[in-house]
Amino acid sequence: MDVEADVIVIGSGPAGLTAALHAHESGARNVLLLEREEELGGILKQCIHNGFGLEQFKKDYTGPEYAERLIEELEKTNVQCFLNTMVVSLSPDRTITAVSPEKGVFHIKSRSVVLAMGCRERPRSSINIPGTRPAGVYTAGVAQRFVNIDGYLPGKEVVILGSGDIGLIMARRLTLEGARVKGVYEIMDYPGGLKRNIVQCLNDFDIPLYLSHTVTEIQGKERVEGVVVSKVDQKMNSISGSEQSIPCDTLLLSVGLIPENELSKEAGVELTPITKGPVTTETMETRVPGIFSCGNVSTVFDLVDYVAETGMIAAGNAARFAAGDWKKGRNPVEIIPGENVRMLFPQRYSFKDDLILFVRSAKPIEKPVNIELSPLGMRLKRLYARPNEMIRFKVSRDKLKAVTGPIEVSITER
Amino acid sequence: MNVEKKHFTCVICPLGCEIDVELQNGKVVSMEGNKCQKGEEFVSQELEEAMRILTTTVSIKGAKWAMLPVRTDKPIPKRLLSKVIEQLATIELHAPVRMYHVIVKGIAGTDANVVATRNMKKVNHPKNAKKDLISRKEG
Ligand code: SF4
Repeated sequence: MDVEADVIVIGSGPAGLTAALHAHESGARNVLLLEREEELGGILKQCIHNGFGLEQFKKDYTGPEYAERLIEELEKTNVQCFLNTMVVSLSPDRTITAVSPEKGVFHIKSRSVVLAMGCRERPRSSINIPGTRPAGVYTAGVAQRFVNIDGYLPGKEVVILGSGDIGLIMARRLTLEGARVKGVYEIMDYPGGLKRNIVQCLNDFDIPLYLSHTVTEIQGKERVEGVVVSKVDQKMNSISGSEQSIPCDTLLLSVGLIPENELSKEAGVELTPITKGPVTTETMETRVPGIFSCGNVSTVFDLVDYVAETGMIAAGNAARFAAGDWKKGRNPVEIIPGENVRMLFPQRYSFKDDLILFVRSAKPIEKPVNIELSPLGMRLKRLYARPNEMIRFKVSRDKLKAVTGPIEVSITER
Repeated sequence: MNVEKKHFTCVICPLGCEIDVELQNGKVVSMEGNKCQKGEEFVSQELEEAMRILTTTVSIKGAKWAMLPVRTDKPIPKRLLSKVIEQLATIELHAPVRMYHVIVKGIAGTDANVVATRNMKKVNHPKNAKKDLISRKEG
């Protein structure tokens, strides 16, 4: 073995930075952070807008500030960071094969591993828009990188498909840089992004948001010359006769993010269709012992604070595992989505810690709701439930002691 | 009498109340939809002068990247956002720059400063040596 470690963290975005720092703070001696790019920080470096760390640090940081704060903390520790290092394989016995310009191909054996690879954007090919293949179609995150890091403006007349947060943020960013954003088109009948982004990124600049609309054709040979948008019915089929042609030179796609789990799969980590990430318990341990998962590789979170929180939990437990302080304990029980729950994380409970549960509603309910945990008979009250706002809550270990079978979580109107 | 209706979405908390306001000669005569007092304060501030934090970039030479992210250190009037962006487009910085280094003091006559939001080192082979970099004005 070329290198040995107690805890290896793969990826240095908000989840990985927090995890590396917290693994160190939890007593792991030999912590190694692997990053495939030439700098730490992951996606934070291009997210130059504010709104980061409101809950975690009670500060309104921009993405880069948030990253620098964690990086400065990390520099005070003996955590080793390998940059330009691409992990090419991970085996169930926690051996990593990686490659970097300095070291070539090398192997690392670690007592525990924290997966923090984050997510990637859904590309055009995953949404099947007919038409030509001209230049000028970008995912919102790629456009964000062009503008904020490389200094390129991707176009002058822009249509945005999908109302995810990055799309909304880019609508504002491009407008401020002098482009004209003609509209944001969302196939669902509710917006994908957070309300504060709808207000501060669209309403502030009079950018229209069209719900129940989608792009049905891309026009132009060399470069995008326009798109055709259509209304959709409740089954999300486009309504014929509602087509409208919109001249533009750029189409941005903000149609969702997918956890990046190629490495997890290779290590034999079981994934779930509920999150498209690894099945984990409240400790963030996957079904492969000693491999933990956190942040957007687990499930796509709305807030960086949640990403960091799962990073802390994963790292604390990975450090414990590495120290040999990891008891088998009771057999985990399943946590399953019930009525009106589209997403839930984690999916198992192993009786080791308090349970921090993240839930996403399947449809918007603008009325007071109960979030019910059965058969616990537990009810949490909320004023509303929206698919674009994850619900987070904590259930103490004491309350869960008596559970013997699966826990079902449902959201019902009060 | 000059009667006007306006709509606001309060962003003080995640609830995001939809607030309808009726104005007579610029004065609020009724407000509906806010679930708490803070919503009222939010609307008055929006009516008086909407304030926003501006985050953007400034071009930088001698660094690994072409652009340095910056922000105003406090909210500035929303109506000044484009003016500030234009003013910042004329600036060119040179690496290295430290986070929170003040780039423009009292931007556009406000008491807000524009500050760097990250550290950026000087490098020997900067990536922005590219000739084809489209300037923002040409778009
Ligand atoms: S009015 Fe009050 S409750 Fe409603 S969004 Fe504003 S702060 Fe929240």
